[in-house]
Amino acid sequence: MRFNEKELVSLSRQPSEMAAELGMRGPKKGDVLKKRLVKLVVNFLFYFRTDEEEPIGALLLEQCRVEKEDSQTFSIVFLDEAERKYLFECDSEEQCGEWIDSIIKASYEFMRKNLIFYRTEIHRLTGKDPLEQYGISDETRFQVSNGLQLMPRDTSSL
Amino acid sequence: MKLNERSVAHYATCDSPPDKTGFLFKKGERNTAYHRRWFVLKGNMLFYFEERDSREPIGVIVLEGCTVELCESAEEFAFAIKFDCAKARVYKMAAENQAAMESWVKALSRASFDYMRLVVKELERQLEEIQEAAGVGCVGAGGLQCKPKASRRNQVARSRSGASSSSSSSSSSLSSASSAPPMSGSGQKSLLDEGHHTSKENGVAWSKAPGTLANGFVEGASSCVAWESSTDSGISTGCGADGVRAPPVPPRRRGASLESPVSPGTGCFSKLHDWYGREVEELRAQWLQSQ
Repeated sequence: MRFNEKELVSLSRQPSEMAAELGMRGPKKGDVLKKRLVKLVVNFLFYFRTDEEEPIGALLLEQCRVEKEDSQTFSIVFLDEAERKYLFECDSEEQCGEWIDSIIKASYEFMRKNLIFYRTEIHRLTGKDPLEQYGISDETRFQVSNGLQLMPRDTSSL
Repeated sequence: MKLNERSVAHYATCDSPPDKTGFLFKKGERNTAYHRRWFVLKGNMLFYFEERDSREPIGVIVLEGCTVELCESAEEFAFAIKFDCAKARVYKMAAENQAAMESWVKALSRASFDYMRLVVKELERQLEEIQEAAGVGCVGAGGLQCKPKASRRNQVARSRSGASSSSSSSSSSLSSASSAPPMSGSGQKSLLDEGHHTSKENGVAWSKAPGTLANGFVEGASSCVAWESSTDSGISTGCGADGVRAPPVPPRRRGASLESPVSPGTGCFSKLHDWYGREVEELRAQWLQSQ
């Protein structure tokens, strides 16, 4: 699958508040723990060899699960390949917790759900749709639904 | 550079809802003819398939940091996706008609993660203002004033002093409808700073429509439907429907110990703590199972 690598590399250089040297182990048998500079930028987790400018790789953090493995280790697993675990070893339990938190919140899906929640609450409390003033109330991605799936809903009542 | 391509391709075709789909013509790199492809926009990722029913995408354009412009072209309804990095590629596209072109340009220029984050922050700020104005207390005026809380296991809603932190988050306010909000480096940083604070409080991955958690004390249809069906009255009292009043959210204090009860309005703190922890865990488990 083709992707715009140059732009992704450029993205990896953006400032990030979550960047640290962690022990990282890939998902394949035989992968060993290596020291990597791990950096979270939007919904991507980049990993670099220490002191190298260009990342070795990137993980898109959508449709994944983050779990605590032990007091200082967390794992990322992608839902389409749940047996393959990426492991990350932190320096402390606190750091581990911060990474887990940040990665959970780093997905577009997560943000979308929060947005819908706020929109719903604000409407419930005020009777007004807060997105209307920005002209984005009809965008598919902001629609509310009853179920797990977001489906286009008739929001003409709003 | 490696990418978790298989999982990225899976994201393209999994059942998470796309933000936009449709046919577009894309100018090839080597073969400079325009090829008709099926495009699927999910978040900040623009996937393209050979056919509408293809199982796997041919490729993806990561849209973060891009600008979308109309462009001069022999091709009608043409636009371009441009990036600001050295030797960046320009993706020349063409839609099938004027309306499609405008719709795609709009969708693509607002597809960035940062834009989404800005909108979320803005709504969060608005909700906080409304809640503070209404007063967070034991006896709510119109039902539940719940907010998303941290999702870590055994973690409880944190306490936060009301005034200071929320008002500071209005530094990057949402601009008007027609233009995408400017994303300066410093602007981003302040978002991230506040994001780090407030996002920890919004840790929960909402499984069902958030209405079910917000009104989680009352399980049932009335919770989510509040959004769609409350046409007559402004403020619905869905949560109070069968007489159950939701416990209020204790005010959150940045850096406060998780265990310290601070809200004057909260009755029995440990009950509240247990309840939130349990509810969040249940919902999370359900969501994970359904993925």
